[in-house]
Amino acid sequence: MRKSKLFLLFLSVMSLTLILACSSETEVKEVVKEVEVMIERPSTLKTVQDRGTLKCGVNDNLTGFGVLTSSGAFEGFDIDYCKAVAAAIFGDASKVEYVPLTASARFEALGSGEIDLLIRNTTWTASRDRDLANDFTATTFYDGQGMMVYADSGYQTIEDMEGATVCVLQGTTTELNLDDRFMSAGLKYTPLTFETNDPLQAAFEEKRCDGWTTDKSGLASKRAEFPASAGGPDSLVVLAETLSKEPLGPLTRDNDSKFYDVVQWVVFGLIQAEESGITSSNVAAMAASPKDPGMARLLGVPYSGGEVSDFQFGVDPTFIQHAIKAVGNYGEIYEKHLTPLGLTRAGSLNALWTDGGLVYAPPFR
Amino acid sequence: MNLFIDKLSKWSRSQRNRNLIYQIIFLLFIGLFVNYLIAKASLLELTLNHFNSRAGFGISHTFLIDYSSNNDRWSAYFTGVINTIRVCLVAIVIATLIGTLMGVARLSKNILFSTIAFLYVEILRNTPLLIQIIFWQIIFLKLPRISEALTLGSTVVISNRGILLPYAKASETNSSNIFLYIILLAIILAFCISYYLNKREDIDGMKFKLFNINLNGNLTGTLIFLIISVFAYYILQKPYIIDLPSLYQNSKGTFLQSGGFEFSPEFGAILFALVIYTGTFITEIVRGSIQSLPKGQTEAALSLGLSNYQTMTVILLPQALRSIIPPLTNQFLNLTKNSSLAVVIAYPELFMVSRTIMNNSGRALPVFFLILFTYLSLSLFISVFMNLINRRVTRIGT
Repeated sequence: MRKSKLFLLFLSVMSLTLILACSSETEVKEVVKEVEVMIERPSTLKTVQDRGTLKCGVNDNLTGFGVLTSSGAFEGFDIDYCKAVAAAIFGDASKVEYVPLTASARFEALGSGEIDLLIRNTTWTASRDRDLANDFTATTFYDGQGMMVYADSGYQTIEDMEGATVCVLQGTTTELNLDDRFMSAGLKYTPLTFETNDPLQAAFEEKRCDGWTTDKSGLASKRAEFPASAGGPDSLVVLAETLSKEPLGPLTRDNDSKFYDVVQWVVFGLIQAEESGITSSNVAAMAASPKDPGMARLLGVPYSGGEVSDFQFGVDPTFIQHAIKAVGNYGEIYEKHLTPLGLTRAGSLNALWTDGGLVYAPPFR
Repeated sequence: MNLFIDKLSKWSRSQRNRNLIYQIIFLLFIGLFVNYLIAKASLLELTLNHFNSRAGFGISHTFLIDYSSNNDRWSAYFTGVINTIRVCLVAIVIATLIGTLMGVARLSKNILFSTIAFLYVEILRNTPLLIQIIFWQIIFLKLPRISEALTLGSTVVISNRGILLPYAKASETNSSNIFLYIILLAIILAFCISYYLNKREDIDGMKFKLFNINLNGNLTGTLIFLIISVFAYYILQKPYIIDLPSLYQNSKGTFLQSGGFEFSPEFGAILFALVIYTGTFITEIVRGSIQSLPKGQTEAALSLGLSNYQTMTVILLPQALRSIIPPLTNQFLNLTKNSSLAVVIAYPELFMVSRTIMNNSGRALPVFFLILFTYLSLSLFISVFMNLINRRVTRIGT
């Protein structure tokens, strides 16, 4: 009796080791399956066209970029890009379904197919591009980490801030960039790391910290809505220095090149429109009589009675024209949403390349 | 082959053998599940090697460890552990004191005292701790701003950046470590001598006399400690000097404060919340334990002519201690675990620092195991310590 029990125990141990040995093979099979699913997945462009609306993942709480207004409408820089893509695909900017997302839920929402397109002030980094199942399209806004201080503090550069206390969000790259900057300058500082924004703002309003650091766009937004009881926007300044690179732009899913191309070239089209001097008000006139062949290619219209050059994006050749009509060119979008926040465009990275900025579109050819 | 099947069918006829087969099948399923978990976990990196790399982030509250962002992640982690221990230790001591006082006050015949204690317990026990923590943070942020900071000469600075008190700091003589060791030795020596003298007095009533002054053990111990430390202090040419806090303006005219011992608003908020919240439970434990004693104890003590105070301190509390300590241990454990809520008010305790490391390294699982292990160790340490006390308390008088 005893022996048989021992034997059975031995048997079960053996079978366990066998199962363990096989496990790596099953892993490989799983990966292969995943790849197959990816290949079979239809293009998002087709899905969107069949559905008749574009599902756009956005922020609903960042003034200037994406915010849900009291009238129930979404508004902002990122929102206008959703509208532009919808206009390019359907010729109608209202065919967008906005899905407000938190920072932590955004990539999951895109990967799972809950949304088609993610435009939610998302920084393009190597690890996000590689690890998460998404592709970054062209950058729409060159952001960077900044430092906001009280105007009466007299701080003008980071170097002035020896011994200062700085409020920062926990577990972000912001926290690491901040430390790098102060360490390299050889300055002592105290980081006050908060888990969420609300207690951070409460502490900053009580002047518990001298500085508040996060993306400059975020700072501008927080500054614009700084309560008057705590001094209002004019009591704060954002220092000129930029501590890090934070390029923001729309994201699509991995391996979805048709849709990716449309989004990418809508972004470029609006930049090219500004460069060519096409605005939402003059786009109809320009389309009727384009000034040169390049403009005709951009707007998808014939030049002096010739043929239309269609780039075969899978949408109407006049898609850029629709996008411009809906939201205006890059400069107009910027002027409308970001200039009121105090984000000066002239001289910044977001100026056109002809003005010394980084905003540049490859040729429409 | 037939012989084998024959044998097997015979073997499986027994209920016991069949049960064995069921058990093996069950075991197989468990084995499959465990195998699945192991296979998944083996894809993750479960080592803590990345803790040896540079931390790269600053920590606002450092105590004992001289942490800078250039240190490795282990030092960041231990800074967090020490911050947790620091707040828990102080909170446990104060909460026990407040709880005992309030527990006695609840039984007081004085209506004012008993009502205050009653309201304290009923209001603060029944509101969530998280809300109390945020409440205390708001209160501390309402201290004067640094530009209007209160100062008491140059000894105390009070602002919402923190309350600064005079503190000792190591001077430039480099003998501060030697001094610390000497102090430690002096404490041990003083304890040994006072223990020995007290024991002698207990046994044969001998009193240690010097210049006709009766010195009992405790007094002798204190004297020895004082004499050694004062001598060492001057022989080592003042290894510690007083560090006075200062409030100053930098070249831009902005006020800053530094130096001294810092009692920060974040530490204050979590400490107050933990002390006051846990204090309510300790109050109830103390009250319940005193009430559970037979009424005859009070009556006997009073009829012996003891005062109310003596009845409480000499007769009732020592007896109540036996039933106080086990539930008190629970409260200490709760307090320790609740300290992780400090993460919401920017107090960099164990959980907060570990989560930052987790975010930076992207290796959540091993860091989480480490967090769990640390809290488990802290809790077990408290349990063991309290059990030792409990054993001592229950033994006395039996």
